[in-house]
Amino acid sequence: MADRFFAVAGVYVRWVDAINRKVGRFAMIWLFALLFGILTYGIITDVILQTPANWAMEMAQFTMAAYYILGGGFSLQNDAHVRVDLLYGRWSPLTRARVDVFTSLLLMFYLGILVVGGFQSVQYAVEHNQKNFTAWGPPLAPIKIIMVTGILLMLLQTTSIFLKSLAHCLKRELP
Amino acid sequence: MSYEMIMFLMFGGMMLMLLTGQRVFGAIGFIGSVFALWLWGTGGYELGFDASIKLLNWYPLLTVPMFVFMGYMLSESGIADDLYAMVHDLTGGLRGGLAIGTILLMVLISAMNGLSVAGMAIGCSIALPEMLKRKYDKRMISGVIQAGSSLGILIPPSVVLVLYGMIARQPVGDLWLAGVFPGLLMAALFLLYIVIRCWIQPELGPVLPPEERSVTWQHKMKSVAKGIPAVLVMFLVIGLFLMGVTSLVESSAVGALSAIGLAAWKKRLNWPVMERTLVQTMNISAMFMWIIMAALCFGVVFDGLGAVKAIKSIFLGDWGLTPWQVIWLMMISFIILGMFLDDTAMLVIVAPLYIPLVGELGFDLVWFGVLYTITCQIAYITPPFGYNLFLMRAMAPKEFTLGDIYRSIVPFALIMILTIMIIMAFPQIATWLPEQMMRK
Repeated sequence: MADRFFAVAGVYVRWVDAINRKVGRFAMIWLFALLFGILTYGIITDVILQTPANWAMEMAQFTMAAYYILGGGFSLQNDAHVRVDLLYGRWSPLTRARVDVFTSLLLMFYLGILVVGGFQSVQYAVEHNQKNFTAWGPPLAPIKIIMVTGILLMLLQTTSIFLKSLAHCLKRELP
Repeated sequence: MSYEMIMFLMFGGMMLMLLTGQRVFGAIGFIGSVFALWLWGTGGYELGFDASIKLLNWYPLLTVPMFVFMGYMLSESGIADDLYAMVHDLTGGLRGGLAIGTILLMVLISAMNGLSVAGMAIGCSIALPEMLKRKYDKRMISGVIQAGSSLGILIPPSVVLVLYGMIARQPVGDLWLAGVFPGLLMAALFLLYIVIRCWIQPELGPVLPPEERSVTWQHKMKSVAKGIPAVLVMFLVIGLFLMGVTSLVESSAVGALSAIGLAAWKKRLNWPVMERTLVQTMNISAMFMWIIMAALCFGVVFDGLGAVKAIKSIFLGDWGLTPWQVIWLMMISFIILGMFLDDTAMLVIVAPLYIPLVGELGFDLVWFGVLYTITCQIAYITPPFGYNLFLMRAMAPKEFTLGDIYRSIVPFALIMILTIMIIMAFPQIATWLPEQMMRK
């Protein structure tokens, strides 16, 4: 039974890691390039041609949000998020894994709340055709959907981290 | 349950969660969302996500990926090596000369990026091996690199001051200008300390051997000429912004563009360099933004409990403090919190509680921003939680023990506290430059 569980978990972990890696690399390269492009366009129109485009700054902000949220799962994979290691740094890998099993559930809780809240927010944006409160006034639903997707991917990555810690605790290998 | 009790539980819960070693954003976000649900029921669901929508409209945050990219492009492409060669040749002949050179290098790097990570990367990869080879004291090396790179957040451009500007509603231009002289003052005090210390104990920073010292005048000129383009980039970014040619976000993009241009011109732009820079940019931007997002959620709940009023009534009512004592207490609390908490989270959670009170007491919020930034610098280097400590531990060779790294920062942290005192006594050091520029 347990063997079966970890066999399935292994496949799941590989898939989730691969998806987040792909999405993360996409954000890392192409969304950053897009952000760069928009800002450069903004400089050209604003500073050189003196005809600022009112959409440029807002579009850049949307791209930035997509960038760091879609890149979230990837950054988790890279272990890029700081921790307070006053105690953590002194624990053995096994103790760390045991604590991580528990606290990654709490991280899942936070991300889960974000997803639920995000879902409600998307629903509202779609039903009321919500627009950003600016001169350009773009609809908010698309960016909100992208953000919820990113948070969902981050939640999946956390489940993958949870399974890895669990396997470590029980001294199992994920195939 | 009284609001004070809930606030206490919230803060204590956060500290406890942080101690478990879970990622800082997760620890803060978890406590924030649990309390939001507890206090407001189903109405609390959207609080966490709303923080990310709020971030959508904080446009100065666009500078974060740009400045991080710029800093890493300069270090990964080896442009910073030219700068180091320049200061190495100019100061190598003195006692502790390479340590002096490293501080000067860090001042230049600080004027080209808004955080301390790029400075740490450059310091550990270029300056550290050179000093180690010349038998510099390990504690001197570690202290100089950590303290020097922390100048990145005080000398413009500064991401920390951008974030402070958003929260305190102060113009970023004024804040950046206000950081110039305090940053230079602190660098000067570091230099003074190194000169005096190495004069008393020459073994801490031995003079270079004669064959290395006898570099010709032409050689020195040549290395200066090689370092100059990078210095020009720095003036381009800050200069265009301060002259009002480009906006804040535009200047950060100009910085990133010119870093690419410089790397291409030096024929050091290739895919591995670009990829390493992009990965670092992604990692640091994601870490930074997720912490702000979680801290905003926590902060909204904390504010909702009436924490601003509570702090005001404790400071002014219960304890009967004078305005200056309040400022002192705030500084001390920042320094203590900074030992345990990420500086960004500290700003987003604590600053909104303090800033209204600072304003009401008649203090200048730009000046307070500079003081706050110095406490962040202290936070970066003081154990147990400090970015520069983490980076130092990750990047330094094995012979640097944890004890070495921890002890190395003591004199520099004291100098930073001294800088805070000097700026409190003479606020003009911070406020003079922005006032001059405003008059024009």
